[in-house]
Amino acid sequence: MDGRRGLGIKEVDTTMTQEQILNDVASILRNFNGREYSGDIGLDTRFFGDLGLASIDAVVLGETLEAHYGRKLPFHLFMADLGRRAVRDIPLGELVAFLHNHLNISTTIG
Amino acid sequence: MPRVTVDGTTFYYQQVGAGPDVVLLHGISGNLAIWPLINLMPVLAADFRVTAYDLRGHGYSDTPPSGYTSADMAGDLVNIQRALGLGPMYVLGHSFGGVVALHAAVLYPEAIAGLVLSDPYFPGLRHLETRVGQWSGWQEYKEQANRAGLEVTEEDWFDVGQLFKQAAHLPPERHEMFRKELGLAAMERLTRLAATTCGDDVKAVAGLTEERIRSVRHPSIALYGENSPFLATCRYLEQNLANCRAVLVPDAKHRAHEENPLAYVALVHKHLRELAGLAPLQGRGGAA
Repeated sequence: MDGRRGLGIKEVDTTMTQEQILNDVASILRNFNGREYSGDIGLDTRFFGDLGLASIDAVVLGETLEAHYGRKLPFHLFMADLGRRAVRDIPLGELVAFLHNHLNISTTIG
Repeated sequence: MPRVTVDGTTFYYQQVGAGPDVVLLHGISGNLAIWPLINLMPVLAADFRVTAYDLRGHGYSDTPPSGYTSADMAGDLVNIQRALGLGPMYVLGHSFGGVVALHAAVLYPEAIAGLVLSDPYFPGLRHLETRVGQWSGWQEYKEQANRAGLEVTEEDWFDVGQLFKQAAHLPPERHEMFRKELGLAAMERLTRLAATTCGDDVKAVAGLTEERIRSVRHPSIALYGENSPFLATCRYLEQNLANCRAVLVPDAKHRAHEENPLAYVALVHKHLRELAGLAPLQGRGGAA
């Protein structure tokens, strides 16, 4: 890890589980830009239907998560996927899987 | 979260790419998320520096109580241009965003390089649009509004302010209807605008008279859905602006970016490249 730091590559916890990522997402959404949410937040919680958020909140959540993890993530792919859905809603489990996938891919390519 | 403050109002924006400047303006009650939802920004970023922001009163931008006419918002546009150090801009505006774009070309001609006017309707050209109440999509729109607990009539298409007020004062027994049909976030959006002069301001000519509309000479595309309620305006722009060409988006009405996103993105990319004098795309259609 020290060698990686020397190359300017950010350290990433390669053992991060989906559960840990869900906890990160949930703690951000508990009080998201002044909106508090006290209900259960799990993998089945729907972004729009349950949390009452809008697509612009998804854009800002993407930026918040990039800041949280200290790296750029391809959220444009996530948003475009959302835009293609006939029913425009998404369970948090899909966001968590997206993050899990891209955070771990990033560790292998620096 | 990138923000820029001009004249005491803070705007949320996103910027990607490098090249000539393109600025994207959403319509009333929308926000900049309409662009990432159709993947427009990464496509345009291949050729342009693309900036999208939330209009005042929308998305993550501030909500001042007043200042929502097309003249006010054209002022926001050029102030943001200056604050972000953008060059002459190609502006794509949807619906009222298109009115703002054209008004900016009138008031600040040097700031604008070209226009893509995506289905705008102009208060100064209201006399052209006598048949919107009979538009084929109207019934569908009316039914959706009714399912959401709102009451609209054929005359109301011009008056978004009364929709804001209805949402803000919706009887509690209709809240669930609204939530099911349009979602809680939509109620927040409309209620927020009900507390401003937006509803009245967007109906105002605000100096963008027919004569001034006709005076615009910037290279422009009038990009309308082939089944738009505002095709009379589309034809008028093509016939009366010195450098304006009409382009129709197939299988689309007023919200072509949602109704036919692939064609919309490809047409916007193609025509922005043409406006900017870039060589035509070969073979890949521009929406890759």
